Amino acid sequence: MKLPPFEYLEPSTVPEALSMLDAYRDTVQIIAGGTEVVNRLKLRLISPDYVMNIKKLRDLEGIVDHEQSIIIGANVSVNEIRDSSLLQHKYKAVAEAAFQVAAPPLANMGTIGGNILQNTRCQFYNQSEIVLKGLEVCHKRGGAICLAVKGGKRCFSVYLGDMATALIAFDAQCVLEKSGARRTIPIIDLFTGQGTQPLSIESNELLTGIIIPKQNGAYGSAYRKLRVRGSMDYPLASAAAFLALSADGKIAASRLVIGASGPAPRIVAGAPAALSGKLPEDADFAAAAEMAYELSEGVDNLALPGDYRKKMVRVFAQRALQGARTDMKRGM
Amino acid sequence: MKEMKRYSLTLTVNNETHAVVTPPNRTLLEVLRDDLQLTGTKEGCGEGACGSCTVLVDGQPVRSCLTLAVAMEGRKITTIEGLAQGGKLHPIQAAFVENHAIQCGFCGPGMILTSQALLNDNPTPAEGEIRRAISGNVCRCTGYAKIVKAVQSLAGEER
Repeated sequence: MKLPPFEYLEPSTVPEALSMLDAYRDTVQIIAGGTEVVNRLKLRLISPDYVMNIKKLRDLEGIVDHEQSIIIGANVSVNEIRDSSLLQHKYKAVAEAAFQVAAPPLANMGTIGGNILQNTRCQFYNQSEIVLKGLEVCHKRGGAICLAVKGGKRCFSVYLGDMATALIAFDAQCVLEKSGARRTIPIIDLFTGQGTQPLSIESNELLTGIIIPKQNGAYGSAYRKLRVRGSMDYPLASAAAFLALSADGKIAASRLVIGASGPAPRIVAGAPAALSGKLPEDADFAAAAEMAYELSEGVDNLALPGDYRKKMVRVFAQRALQGARTDMKRGM
Repeated sequence: MKEMKRYSLTLTVNNETHAVVTPPNRTLLEVLRDDLQLTGTKEGCGEGACGSCTVLVDGQPVRSCLTLAVAMEGRKITTIEGLAQGGKLHPIQAAFVENHAIQCGFCGPGMILTSQALLNDNPTPAEGEIRRAISGNVCRCTGYAKIVKAVQSLAGEER
């Protein structure tokens, strides 16, 4: 499939990239690894006037161990995250998520920034022009109907990134820069929850880095993902869990996050109350996983039936919590 | 159709430099096949799922169908044509032939290059590591067993 016409921009510094974003605002598509953007271009889901390659921005590279946090450059490849011993040991959910992104050659190309900022997907949207011509224009394409949910008043497309779900379990933040300004926001706030416009990043902003706060004491984390082919594929249900224990072995802090369950990753808000002050045991994990099930949207718009995926969110939430417990025991 | 700027690129493919003039909206796969006539690299799905377009960029396997050619200046590209030397098959190619790891052959170039990248990084991969490395390359004929066997036959050998 051919790419549509566009002009090519290749900034060599971050300030140059930011001024290009200002100059071509709303007509420029940023590309790094290309694994998502090239496909969107080929399918004509986007037809930008300009494509700006940020892969040569050296400032966006590296995983740096600071006193209070780990800072990961937006251009760090998913494979670098997977292979980082620092992340494998201290931020296991993040390394586990990277290990399960697509297949090794794709994760070699794809960057953490691009993985986080991927668009939502739906089987009635991620199709070629020819297929889409035969379908009614849905919310995602600017129409007023949903092809997945009969009578749906909004877009039910699903966010299928792996990295964000795991990073949110650590309450990670991201750095967004534009000319003359810079803001750091929690990664969860990058997501609007709207299928049509899933991301809150402004068109002249550049995601430059990810900040994972350091954890102390006994803690563990895990990421679990359902997919049809274990060797590749987006998640069809996923969950990330973080558990921290107090000195008496009881849960002091926890975070349970689900992915592939709606237009954004979601924090299971009731989980900490269900787990706090208790020993990390399966019965309480099951109660938290039930909340994950309630929170997930099971819509028939991906490879497996929605009601099955919704049930599997419960299963994978439980497994992520168990995985976090195993990781913690190992680290104590 | 918008009038696009054309770029004069110098691409290093199989240790040879090639001058290519191209608009920016072309993939590395298109340039390799259509401009440089290196048709050993195959287009399968065209969307990064199958791995038949795999080439090595600086020694690492990438999907040439998802890679913009214009971004490839200064990178070292290896295609399947770059393996055999002086009419003699590369040991990985020979191992694929010996082990009947090729049937229709369409996945072969990508599969062989992916295997080469693995063996360069890890000369003695275990079966699981081989399976993981080639997990992004789809083969519809062999059932993978003979491909894994071919790569295993080279584990620890000098290449």
